[in-house]
Amino acid sequence: MRGGGRGGRWLRRATVVGVAAGAVGLGVAVASAQPVPEARLLSVQNQEGPKTAEHLRIGIWNTAGNVTTYTIGNSWNDWVLWLVFDKLREPSPYVGARAEAWLATDIRQVSDDARTWEITLRDGVRWHDGTAFTAEDVAFTYAYYREGPANRWTHHASSVPRLEQIEVLDRLRLRVTSEKPMPNFDRITASDLPIIQKAQWEGVEDPRSFTDIGIGTGPYRLVDYVADQYYELEANPDYWRGKPLVDRLTLVMIKDPQTMFTALKTGELDGAARSLPPELVEPWAADPSIELAQAPSLWGAWLDINFARAPFDDPELRRAISLAVNPDPLLERVMLGRGQSGVHGWPHVDAFWTRPDLEVPYDPDAAAALLEKLGFVDGDGDGRRENPDGTPLVWGIKVASNQPLFLRAAEMLAPQLEAVGITTRIETLDPASFTALWRTREFDLRVADITPHGIADQDMEMILTRGVTSRAIREQPERAAIVTRWLDAATREDRLAVSYELQAYQNRYPERVMLWYPDGIFAYRWQAYDNYASSAGYGIYHKYSFLPNEVRGDTVEPLAGN
Amino acid sequence: MPYLRTIGQYALVLALALSLNFALPRLAPGDPLGYLVGEDVAAFLSEAERAAVLAEFGLDQPVWRQFTTYVQGVFTGDLGTSVRTGEPVWDAVVARLPWTLLLMGTTLVLSVSIGVVLGVLAAWRRGEGVDAWSLVVTLFCGSLPAFWVAMLLITLFSAELGWLPSFGAYELGTRPGTMAFALGVLERLVLPVTALTIAHTASVLLIARASMASTLERDFILFARAKGVPERRVFYRHALRTALLPIHTHVTIGFGALVGGALVIETVFGYPGLGSLVVDGVGARDYNLLQGVFLLATVSVVAANLVAELTYPLLDPRVRRVS
Repeated sequence: MRGGGRGGRWLRRATVVGVAAGAVGLGVAVASAQPVPEARLLSVQNQEGPKTAEHLRIGIWNTAGNVTTYTIGNSWNDWVLWLVFDKLREPSPYVGARAEAWLATDIRQVSDDARTWEITLRDGVRWHDGTAFTAEDVAFTYAYYREGPANRWTHHASSVPRLEQIEVLDRLRLRVTSEKPMPNFDRITASDLPIIQKAQWEGVEDPRSFTDIGIGTGPYRLVDYVADQYYELEANPDYWRGKPLVDRLTLVMIKDPQTMFTALKTGELDGAARSLPPELVEPWAADPSIELAQAPSLWGAWLDINFARAPFDDPELRRAISLAVNPDPLLERVMLGRGQSGVHGWPHVDAFWTRPDLEVPYDPDAAAALLEKLGFVDGDGDGRRENPDGTPLVWGIKVASNQPLFLRAAEMLAPQLEAVGITTRIETLDPASFTALWRTREFDLRVADITPHGIADQDMEMILTRGVTSRAIREQPERAAIVTRWLDAATREDRLAVSYELQAYQNRYPERVMLWYPDGIFAYRWQAYDNYASSAGYGIYHKYSFLPNEVRGDTVEPLAGN
Repeated sequence: MPYLRTIGQYALVLALALSLNFALPRLAPGDPLGYLVGEDVAAFLSEAERAAVLAEFGLDQPVWRQFTTYVQGVFTGDLGTSVRTGEPVWDAVVARLPWTLLLMGTTLVLSVSIGVVLGVLAAWRRGEGVDAWSLVVTLFCGSLPAFWVAMLLITLFSAELGWLPSFGAYELGTRPGTMAFALGVLERLVLPVTALTIAHTASVLLIARASMASTLERDFILFARAKGVPERRVFYRHALRTALLPIHTHVTIGFGALVGGALVIETVFGYPGLGSLVVDGVGARDYNLLQGVFLLATVSVVAANLVAELTYPLLDPRVRRVS
C-alpha cells in the first residue's frame, strides 16, 4: 500500500517559476510556488532499460479515427492527437505556469483589460508535408474552432473565451481579441487547442466525414491506420524540437481491459495506455518484466446530483446529501487506497488553481437535521423519510453497466444515505444511455467519472455553467453573481480569487459530490523502452515521453525511483 | 405459384425488418451527438451548434425524411456515412465481413461436426455411458458464459503458457498473401473459435440427439431391424438420413446468422468482425452503421430461411408431395 497520508501523497516540491504576467518564455516579475503532483515508480525493483527504441507497440482502448481534432476529443486518447499535432504552449492547461513555449515563442497580453493578446510564432517549423507553418495557420485554426462545426476543442475559442477578432500581423505574428477578458489565454486556450493546417482544412465543411490523414507539425506522422484496429506512426526526423527517441509507434486498439493487460503481460504489447485497475497493482508491482509508474491523470469520480430538477434544485438539499456522503471508505474499499479521497471537493485536488483549504465535511447528524428542516421527515416511523408531500422518498442512483467500480461505489453510497433516512435504488444503464444523461438530465443521482478537461481546466468551470443546465445556474443568484464576476475579472489574480469563491460555493452546495481522485497507474515493459516521464493529466503516455530528454523541459516530471 | 407466395411473404418480412432496423437504433436513449463531440461537451452546446453537428450526417432532418433517405440508400447501395469513423458504412461492413465469416464459419463447421457426431452417437447409444457423458459435458460447457470461457482461454493459453496470441485477427505488420500473415490468422483464430465452439456445440448436440432418438423410435426403423437389415445400414441409410432433416434446417439458418458476428467474443479478443462493429456502433449511437449491419444480418437470415424452405423438399420427398 502507499505510504503517507493525504499530505504525504503530494510531492510538494516548491517550484519557483519565473512567470511574466501574461508572457510565455520570458521570466520576470511574479514568482510562484506551484505544487507538483506525485510521479514515481511503484515496482518492487526499479529496472534500467533502453532509453531509445526502434519500434513500440502500445495498446489504446478508444478509436482515434484519422487522428484529427474531429475524431479525437476525449481525455482517454487525446495523447494520440498530440503525437501528430502541436499547440502554441505545452503541455496542457492543467499545469498553470510550469509550461514550455512550443509553437509560439511569445504570447503576450497587450491590453489592460486582458482582451487582446499578441502571439509570436516559432520560425522554421514545418508541417509534415514540408510546407512552412505560419500565422495564417494559427488564425485559420482559431477561426475554424470559433465558427466551424463544434467539437471538444471549439468551446475554448467560441464560448469561454469567445474570440472576436483574429488578425494576422505578419508571417509569424498575430493578434487575438476576445469579447470578455481572457487573462489566462496563454495558459488555457493557447495550451489546449491543437493547431491544424490551413491548406488541409480550408474548405472542409464536413470534417467528420473527412478521412484524409491529419497533417500536423508534431513529432510523429500517421502513415497508416485502420480505425478500430491500429495506427502506425513514424518519427518525424525534422521535428523542430528534436528527432523522437522511438522511430516507430504502433498503437493497437484493444477495448477489453483484461485483454489489453494480458497482451502486455505476454509481451504482445510494450505498453498499455490505460490506467491499471487497483486490484492489479500489487501483484504487478512484483513482476520483474513489468514496470509500474504512478503519474497524475487528473481524473475524478463523483456522485452527480441532478440540480436542474426538483427537489435537487434546492441548494440546501444538495448540501444535506453531501454531508451524508463519506468518501473515505469508498477510496479504501473500491479503489483499494489507490487515489485521494473526495473530501477535497471540486475541482481536482491536484489542479494548480484549486483552493488549497477546500474540504467537504462529512456530518450525517447535520445532514439529518437539514433534511428535517427541508420537510423530508420520517412521518410513519419506519426509519425512511418521506417527501414533503408525504409520498415515499426513493431516489435512483444510476450507474453505467461497464463500470464495476462505480457500481460498487453506488452500493456503498446507498447505506450511507440510508443512514440519514434516504432510500435509494441502484439502476444500471448501457454506457451510451448513461452518458446521454448529461443532456437528458433524467436521473436523480449518478456515479460517474470526469476527465481532466472537465475537472482540471480552469475555463471549463464556466463552460459547465452553460447549455442544458444554464437555467438552473441562473436560478441560483449567488452563484450567477460569482459567474458574472469571474467573466469580468481581468487579471489572473482576480480570476483566481473569484474561482476560489466559486469553488467554496460549489462545495457548500455541490452539484457533484467528489468521491475520489484515482491515481493514474501505468504499466510498461521496461525491456522495450524505459524512458517515460509524467505529465499531469496524461500520465506517462504522451509525446514528451518520446522526445529527447534534454528538450522535454517543463512538459514533464521525472518518475522518482521507489 | 407457391414459390411466388413464399417470395411475397419474404418481401413483406424484409420490408418490416427494414423499418425495424431504422427504428431500433433511434429508440435507444441518446443520439450520435454525444459521441461526435463528447456527451459532456454536447450538454453545453447551443441549439445552433448542436444542429450544425447533426446536419453533417443529415440527422437534423425530420425522421420521415431520414427514413426515406435510408430506404432510397438501401436500393441504391448508399448506406450513408459512419458517425464513428467518417467512412462509408458499406466500406466498413465489407472490410469486416470476411473476418466474421471466417470466425463464425469455422465455428459453425466445428460445432455442427462435433455436435452432430456426439448427438447422433448419444442417441444411438442412448442410456449408455457415451450418452450420459457427452450430454453432461456438452451441457456444462454450453452453459458457461462465452466471455468467461474466452477469458479463461486467454489466461491459460496466452498469459500462462504463451502458446497463442491473445488479441486481433492477424499479425500487425504482415501483409495478406504471405505465409506470415496466414499463420498469424490461424493462430489468432484458435482461441475465439474454441470459445464459440464450446458455446454453440450444445444446441447442435441436443437437436441431433433428439432428432436421432425420435427417428430411432419410428416404425420403419423397427421394421428394418425386424427384417434383418444390418445395424450399420439401419444407422446410416435409414436413421441418420431422416434425422438430418432438422439439423439441415438448424445449420442453414445458422449460416444466415453468421454475419451477425459474435458481439462479446469479438470484443474480448479484439477481433475486427461485424460483432465488434455493432458493439461500437451501439456505443456511439451510430445510426447509419447499425442500419447497415442490421440490414446485412436481416437479408442473410431471410435468405437462409428461404434457402432452407426451398431446399427442404429436395431432401424430404414427403414435403415435396404435399407441396
